[in-house]
Amino acid sequence: MRWEDVTGLALESLRLHRMRTGLTVLAVAIGATAVLLLTTLGDAAKGYVVNQFASVGTNLVMISPGRTETAGLGAAISGSTRNLTIDDCEAILRRSPSVKRVAPFSLGSAAITCGGRSRDVFVIGTTSSYQEIRSLGLAAGSFLPPGDPRRGERVAVIGFKLKRELFGSENALGKAIRIAEAQFRVIGLLEPKGQTMGMDFDDVAIIPVATALRIFNQSSLFRISVQARDAASIPLAVEEARGVLIDRHREEDFTVITQDAMLKSFRSIIDALTVALAAIAAISLAVAGIGIMNVMLVSVSERVPEIGLLKALGARPRQITALFLAEAVLLSGVGAIAGLGAGYILATIAARMFPALPLIPSVMWMGIVMALSISLGAIFGLIPARRAAGLAPADALRGRR
Amino acid sequence: MIQGEAASPATEAGHSTANPELIRLERVSRLYKMGESEVRALDEVSLHIHNGDFVALMGPSGSGKSTLLNVIGLLDTPTSGAYFLDNQAVQGLSENSLAEVRQKKIGFIFQAYHLVPRMTAARNVELPLILAGLDPSERRVRLRAALDSVGLGARMSHRPDQLSGGERQRVAIARAMVMRPQVLLADEPTGNLDSRTGEEIVALLGRLNASGLTILLVTHDPRVASHAGRLLTMCDGRLMSDAPPAEGAP
Repeated sequence: MRWEDVTGLALESLRLHRMRTGLTVLAVAIGATAVLLLTTLGDAAKGYVVNQFASVGTNLVMISPGRTETAGLGAAISGSTRNLTIDDCEAILRRSPSVKRVAPFSLGSAAITCGGRSRDVFVIGTTSSYQEIRSLGLAAGSFLPPGDPRRGERVAVIGFKLKRELFGSENALGKAIRIAEAQFRVIGLLEPKGQTMGMDFDDVAIIPVATALRIFNQSSLFRISVQARDAASIPLAVEEARGVLIDRHREEDFTVITQDAMLKSFRSIIDALTVALAAIAAISLAVAGIGIMNVMLVSVSERVPEIGLLKALGARPRQITALFLAEAVLLSGVGAIAGLGAGYILATIAARMFPALPLIPSVMWMGIVMALSISLGAIFGLIPARRAAGLAPADALRGRR
Repeated sequence: MIQGEAASPATEAGHSTANPELIRLERVSRLYKMGESEVRALDEVSLHIHNGDFVALMGPSGSGKSTLLNVIGLLDTPTSGAYFLDNQAVQGLSENSLAEVRQKKIGFIFQAYHLVPRMTAARNVELPLILAGLDPSERRVRLRAALDSVGLGARMSHRPDQLSGGERQRVAIARAMVMRPQVLLADEPTGNLDSRTGEEIVALLGRLNASGLTILLVTHDPRVASHAGRLLTMCDGRLMSDAPPAEGAP
């Protein structure tokens, strides 16, 4: 029997019961849509996180004071944690060949006033290297000037939203603002960038690190950002920076974490979540498979005399199996195509509504849904098809099973 | 016993009085279990049918006519005894081989026609050709010829519910003939038809027989049986008589 004929005969039979066929196809379609949407969502979440990490900068290594792993007895014996200082930053840059840039980073919160207006924002203390490390773009003016990081100039680079709130549409460059009761001159405006990794660069003021430590009365940096020369030299940069700091502190009283490591753990968490979501959605596909089996069993019992006739006309058991299996696979295949189409449209609509999320259904997941649906049709269609093929011809012709 | 001389294969030496044997049953029995008791639907039936025979089979309900027809048509397997079709022993053949023999050598028609209701007349007749895996161009030629031979060329795109009983049975005959079988097994083909239409169908069967087809016809109607060259009667699973039919009603 030619496969076109198998398909043709199966379609003729399915077309006879439009309602039944339609509902079964719908059940598969809903399952396929659910799997596709949830996996698309998972992939989008991963893409979002990856984008966030990329926007932080490339080949980054973060060093924070304190050893998170050794809290408790060990930490108590080794005494207090040493501060991370500007000297540490300079030593790392000087003594680590794999390190391209180093930026100290301090963080405080202060009211910024200008004229009658005031706004509470985060204030970052850093150096000129920070611009390249975090790939910050400027809308106007210049970033913090290079030079000795211990010199505490009274200059500030402010975020897009902060500028708008304080100055409206007026020019802000060269104007004076007060940060924590000290006077600063605005020298640059950041481009709109939005939230990256929990830091809103639109609503922030960036000032020289020495000034920041002084006005916030801090002795330690919040963090040191180290940029490796390239992706391949990240592990080397980590080792070099760690060596320098251990040499200076006499113990490892700090924590080094790479952007890659953070990204990897986020990725694996989200991948696991995506697979779990897909598995839950796949339950609805399995239920649809049971629906297919039910419909096919009904179809077989309705068509007992027809099966007897096919046998009288010389149909082999395999051919009868193939005919009924083709119906089941058509139901699941058409359902999967419809479901994938609907899922694609819904994802596209959702992508319009949430532009921050990269909601693009992946070809891989579409392939998986398609393969899953078709094998589901084949598996759940097999029992009814085998039952049809196994009927005794003489009895079947009389409508007896 | 010999019906017509046309289209029968060359007669073997020493068998000058008969065409080659097509069907041979030797002490064939068929037992059914009905709960605790056993029913002997066929009780040691022995029978020879030759190529080109037109045999009618009569008997009361439950006498085993249909079982005999099913056994001969390979739709049912005997409990004991031997069956040779076209000199080939068929007991012990696999499901697939049985299906192949049915496909190539046997045509069926039924009282209830057994047309597939969702298919047109043409599609119904095409069904055996599809199952045989013939390609569409070959199918069209054979289909057309089969429908024309039963006088239904013009009604080929009608569905069974748009056809009269006589037309439906003609479609069924076309379907049975389209694979060019050696024997046509007809299970009360006129049972659902009025007598005039029934006569037409029997006349059509007579013409097919005249062109060399072997026919075994189960019927309740003596007038239908009178068209056959040979009349078998059954009772309680046994062959009671085997003779040319009496002219007129017995």
